[in-house]
Amino acid sequence: MLFEEALFVTVLASTLRGSMPMLLAALGETYAESAGILNLGIEGMMVAGAFASFLVGLQTNMVPLGFLGAAIIGAVLGGIIGFLVIGLRLNQIVVGLGMTVFTSAFCNLLHRIIFGSQFPMLWGAGMTTEIPVLSKIPIIGQPLFNQHWLVYVTLALVPVLYFLLYRTSLGLRIRAVGETPWAADASGVNVYGIRYLTIILAGVLASTGGAFLAIGDLAFFIPDMVKGRGYIAIVVVMLGRWNPIKVFLGSLLFGFALSLTSALQVAGLKVSPDFILTMPYLVVILTLIIIAKSTSLPAALCVPYKRGE
Amino acid sequence: MKQILYDKAAPAANSILSVISAFVVGGVILLFIGKNPFTLYGQLFLQGMGSSLGVIETIIKMAPLLMVSAGLLVAFSGGLWNLGVEGQFLMGAILTGWLAPKLVPFLSLPVYFITLGGIGFAGGMIWALLPAILKARYNLNEIIITLMMNYVALNLVTWMVKGPINDLSVVPAQTKLIPMTHRMPMIPFTRIHLGLIIGLIVIIGVYWIIRRTTMGYQIRVLFANKRAAIHTGMNVKRIIVWSLLTSGGFSGLAGAIDVLAIKGLFQGGWNPMYGITCIPLVFLARLNGWAVIPLSYFFSFLVVGGEFVARDQGVPVFFVHVLEGLMLLSFAAGEHIGKGRVT
Repeated sequence: MLFEEALFVTVLASTLRGSMPMLLAALGETYAESAGILNLGIEGMMVAGAFASFLVGLQTNMVPLGFLGAAIIGAVLGGIIGFLVIGLRLNQIVVGLGMTVFTSAFCNLLHRIIFGSQFPMLWGAGMTTEIPVLSKIPIIGQPLFNQHWLVYVTLALVPVLYFLLYRTSLGLRIRAVGETPWAADASGVNVYGIRYLTIILAGVLASTGGAFLAIGDLAFFIPDMVKGRGYIAIVVVMLGRWNPIKVFLGSLLFGFALSLTSALQVAGLKVSPDFILTMPYLVVILTLIIIAKSTSLPAALCVPYKRGE
Repeated sequence: MKQILYDKAAPAANSILSVISAFVVGGVILLFIGKNPFTLYGQLFLQGMGSSLGVIETIIKMAPLLMVSAGLLVAFSGGLWNLGVEGQFLMGAILTGWLAPKLVPFLSLPVYFITLGGIGFAGGMIWALLPAILKARYNLNEIIITLMMNYVALNLVTWMVKGPINDLSVVPAQTKLIPMTHRMPMIPFTRIHLGLIIGLIVIIGVYWIIRRTTMGYQIRVLFANKRAAIHTGMNVKRIIVWSLLTSGGFSGLAGAIDVLAIKGLFQGGWNPMYGITCIPLVFLARLNGWAVIPLSYFFSFLVVGGEFVARDQGVPVFFVHVLEGLMLLSFAAGEHIGKGRVT
């Protein structure tokens, strides 16, 4: 009984924690895709966020500043991608790939130059905040209410972002830009402005997700730590069909797949961690197969917009 | 992709300008990290192109780049985004590393090489099979699936090499060493292995098929206008499956040859990441097989020179990937400026 409880608590806590980076990135991607931008640069944004947060946190010795640094880098990267795909109307896939290759390599380069082959820890990172009273609930109290502060913020963001996208006129405009940009333009919506807004938001959230990985969940940076979570976030968005609430549920699924490694260790099963690590990606592929028939993308996804055409 | 690749207005100019602008932006980055770009680029060219060691190493490294690029050429010519070349390469490599020592006592040398080449090719094909079927059957986007297959492959090969196919007599996780007598032979009078010749034949052969045969024509029609392809009665699904399988196969073959010629075994954690190099390469070549050859030399020079410079000048090898990402971005930008493009 005690054993089962320990397993349950570990799985619950690490699922929630493990799903956060993907959830943050996916929430941003939901907005970008709703407005017609497929952001394959998301993986690079997460790497940049992870590295920036760690570097700033280490230099200033203040963990919260690390998150701020990541958010700023994310906004800058979102702005650059925005300029390339909205301003210059370049191919979104090529730009996304190019940006991911560039930013990941650049972070690896800086990491090697600054730290050599060392991977220092950032003290004070990865601390959890216990919510009084609620954390005393038996069994579920600790895994749910003794988490990093960003977990609570992100969870609060889910309904807010849902409301904003589906219940406000701004949200209506965002979705209009993604479906029929010319019609939105004709009715006075600033198509370019909306698209810039969403890609910058996507950058901020993706980089914050990366930051959570480096200095929220853990307390160090290693160059290949993001491991495709950005791409998984894109799948989460497809699975959740641009609905932040469903996106949240989807990211829990992959968070669960990612938490399997620690769960199986607690359960005492002798399965190689390398083998278990293939699971999240297989779950992604399986999910895509299952949802294959029911996905429909926003009509203007990946299509640049130019007035008067 | 359509707009980017089949524009004949300024074929070579944009590719050359992309390389130059990537070097310029890369130079600014070097300044930013406190290195002198002139010294670094000077050393890069001096050691990579000016020394016989650099030139020979560069030519040797061209082999896998030619083969992976040939695979990408097939996929990209059909408008299919095969971003899974790394996984396909690893599967070809690990199958070869595992099976080669077992086959040594049974096969004569020519049969042995042909068999292992086939095994490598098959390994790459197997890894492209799922994305190919999903794309053909359900029109599922191959970008994400092929990327996910890379991560599955990375973890799977680590698991295999640590456990089931490990050479238990040595400490590091690796397969059994292939005896020197059963490595890829050299081109006579050089220390360049035959992989180069195979790579050249593969790229020219693939390009010939794409440009001159009915099958190649069908692949190109698929790229230009999928709807038209369906309406003219082409078996679009079959073309998609075979293009992606062939594409994966050549990456697997590159893996097999790297193991047979360079490594002699498969090591845990080994991933040369040819995808990052070959995707910009094939773009800059504008899907032209002849252009792939000099560009392979150039990218191979960047990788080899980058390794030399990393040791001497303290600029990590990642700098080459920075340049490659920049080339991809400036190539896309150049297409836009060159045309004053209207979507």
